[in-house]
Amino acid sequence: MMLRMLFDKLFTGSAAGSVGLLCLLLIVVLGPMVWRGMGAVVFRETVEFRKMQHAIFGRGSQAEILRETEQVDGLRKPIYDTFDSFAQGIDVDKQLDRVREIYREYGDSLRQRNTPADEFTQLRSTAKTIRDRLTEALETVDQSEAISLTLQVLEMEINFAGEPQLAEFFEIARRYKKTVEGIDPGHRQEYAELLREVRDAMNTLFGPRPDQPKPPLAEHQFGATRWDLVQRDVRFLLYDEQWVQETPGQPLQKKLIPRKQQFAGTELEGWFDQIELDLKSLFRPRLRIYWQYFFDDSTPGHFFGGVGPEILGTLLLTLLAMVVAIPLGIISAAYLVEYGGDTFIIRIIRTCINTLAGVPSIVFGLFGLAFFVILFGRPCILAAAMTLALLVLPVIIRASEEAIRAVPSTYKEASLSLGAGRFRTFMTVILPAAMPGILTGIILSLSRAAGETAPILFTGAVFLGPMPRSLLDSTRALPYGVHGIATGDKVGMTMPHQQYGMVMALIVLVLLLNFLAIGIRWRVSKKLRGY
Amino acid sequence: MNTRFSVSRIGWVGLVIGMLVTTQAVWSAEGGLIVDGSTTVGPLGDAFAEAFKTSHPDIAITVNKTGSGDGAAALIDGRCQIAMMSRFMKDTEFTKAVVNKVFPVAHTIAMDGVCIVLHPSNPIKELTKEQITKIYKGEITNWKELGGSDLAIVAISRDTSSGTYETFHELVINKEKMGPSVEYVSSNPQAHARVKSTPGAIGYIGLGFIDAYVKAIKLDGIMPTRQTIAKGKYPASRPLFLFTNGYPKLGSIVHELCVFHLTEKGQEIIEAKGFIPLTNY
Repeated sequence: MMLRMLFDKLFTGSAAGSVGLLCLLLIVVLGPMVWRGMGAVVFRETVEFRKMQHAIFGRGSQAEILRETEQVDGLRKPIYDTFDSFAQGIDVDKQLDRVREIYREYGDSLRQRNTPADEFTQLRSTAKTIRDRLTEALETVDQSEAISLTLQVLEMEINFAGEPQLAEFFEIARRYKKTVEGIDPGHRQEYAELLREVRDAMNTLFGPRPDQPKPPLAEHQFGATRWDLVQRDVRFLLYDEQWVQETPGQPLQKKLIPRKQQFAGTELEGWFDQIELDLKSLFRPRLRIYWQYFFDDSTPGHFFGGVGPEILGTLLLTLLAMVVAIPLGIISAAYLVEYGGDTFIIRIIRTCINTLAGVPSIVFGLFGLAFFVILFGRPCILAAAMTLALLVLPVIIRASEEAIRAVPSTYKEASLSLGAGRFRTFMTVILPAAMPGILTGIILSLSRAAGETAPILFTGAVFLGPMPRSLLDSTRALPYGVHGIATGDKVGMTMPHQQYGMVMALIVLVLLLNFLAIGIRWRVSKKLRGY
Repeated sequence: MNTRFSVSRIGWVGLVIGMLVTTQAVWSAEGGLIVDGSTTVGPLGDAFAEAFKTSHPDIAITVNKTGSGDGAAALIDGRCQIAMMSRFMKDTEFTKAVVNKVFPVAHTIAMDGVCIVLHPSNPIKELTKEQITKIYKGEITNWKELGGSDLAIVAISRDTSSGTYETFHELVINKEKMGPSVEYVSSNPQAHARVKSTPGAIGYIGLGFIDAYVKAIKLDGIMPTRQTIAKGKYPASRPLFLFTNGYPKLGSIVHELCVFHLTEKGQEIIEAKGFIPLTNY
């Protein structure tokens, strides 16, 4: 007696425990995915995001965007200017070319103005002296020499006050003096390399400059579109990540070296602090609920935009597959139970169906490729939906069969005794009574069809393509999109929220479809119970 | 009861009519341009399609990334007009193509380097082909043996149907069989993610996927850079191809896509995507 009670308790306990474990697993597995996926919909947008939305999707008012762009560009201009003036001091080759060019142009202009011969010679030789001194200053690696040479050049400015062509000489000299006072020209090469990193980081953060030609791909046309991306990218701008050996024989340690420190004593020292300080006004983050994510098309590669075509494609594929599979499944089940009897052949058929239910989905995919794709002439929605229908058919048949068999035979006998035929009995008495069970099978197969990648891989899903215009076009689909992002380009690396967003959309879609089916089942069974 | 049934019956009739109407539309539809193949070339396919979207808004380009081998199969079966491949067609594929009356023509669109990558915390800066071969054969199992720290080596490889695998297999480990401890992943981002998160990992990915989270090392003393790959100095450099059935008809959209890499915009895109454009000036 005691033992039996103990076993009873043990059983109840373990059952409750496993249900709890399942729920916990569901939360642990799905929770983070949905949570991170929500990041694709709810996030803090920056001005770059608004620009992108306007340029690609035509959202937002033109005037508002222009005004904001202008304001932000105004703030960014001093940043670019400081950087450029410093960079010019580092990149001497370009300036050497420019200096030579100015001298040549000046000589030409003197000739064109018909300057008297002796004045011409005198002016030109002075210009030549300036050119040579400036060239020497730019080429030297000695700091004090460079400064004294530039000073000599600047002293001669008074003699050429009336020569606009030569003004640039002194401009270059002034700028160079400023740079060279901060850094030792001997270390120019090292600075040049550091500066290249800074420029790359700056371009990722702010996007292309307003005066630069527009890059051909949308993914490069905008800076950091979200506040989380801003924070990630600004880290690369403000800090240099280096891996250094701390103890020999051990793995290297990551060390963040502030770039401010690397550029200490130069014009750029305060520049980094300025960016960090002004980050908010440079990007103007604002909370955004991007509900259009579920409807928007995306730019190729999914760098920007939403998953609209994918959701539409998945819905189309799943529902089409169900439209094919449900009637076929129920009719087959009805035949197997009501008409087939229990002969040897029926038993073989039943075994075959059970086996089919366990066949891996990629096998169905390959069958679809070999049969439906050839039948329809190309991979298309119809071929993919048919393949999915075949995949879920065994499950629906099995569930329907069990449900129909579970209907009490008294129902059938009562109907038959009232004079109804076998068909009528099945349609009006048995089928409605079996409906809740059948619907359970449908729910299970619905989510399976929506989430499968392998059967549609070769039969009709594509990663990038236009919206389908007919059932003979191929379509994008959520599961295949997730696969495509994971295996294709760098989206997952550079914009992780796009990947999570798509996974979340798939989960939410499957849950919604399930709830819909559960709702229908609840209504049907309520009707059946009669209250 | 009766009314409800008639309502659902009307619903079914509506559904059937709807299906008939769509099927009517179905047979009149026409397919656009289908591009299929390598996951490495895939980003370029996407980018070219994006560029064509603005210049040819009426042409629908479909891009699929299934792998070089699958791309070749799709071209042979006539399931696509352009196959993207990160390796040249094998003789078996060529034979099959010719039997099917498909005559593959290769268009080289860019160069790529297969870079050997390590976790950034790994002090190793260069490896030779022999050392890498030994790692992938399972003969060297600890970084200590190569002068690194005491850490087990996790060798990551691409799956065997990938073009990147073929390049690595042929040009780096000299067609030696890989050992049983090697881990296989099916794409560049996955290989990147695996190396990024594993301190003892070694893997190989395309040049475009190198970033701050993984460290490219010298192979036989040569660093993979634009210059060394373009000049073919880097041992694991490879061309990337588009394959078509015969040379595309001049002026057709297929032709335009196959020569797009020669335009300034095309070269800019190739460079922006981390590949090396083919130029000789």
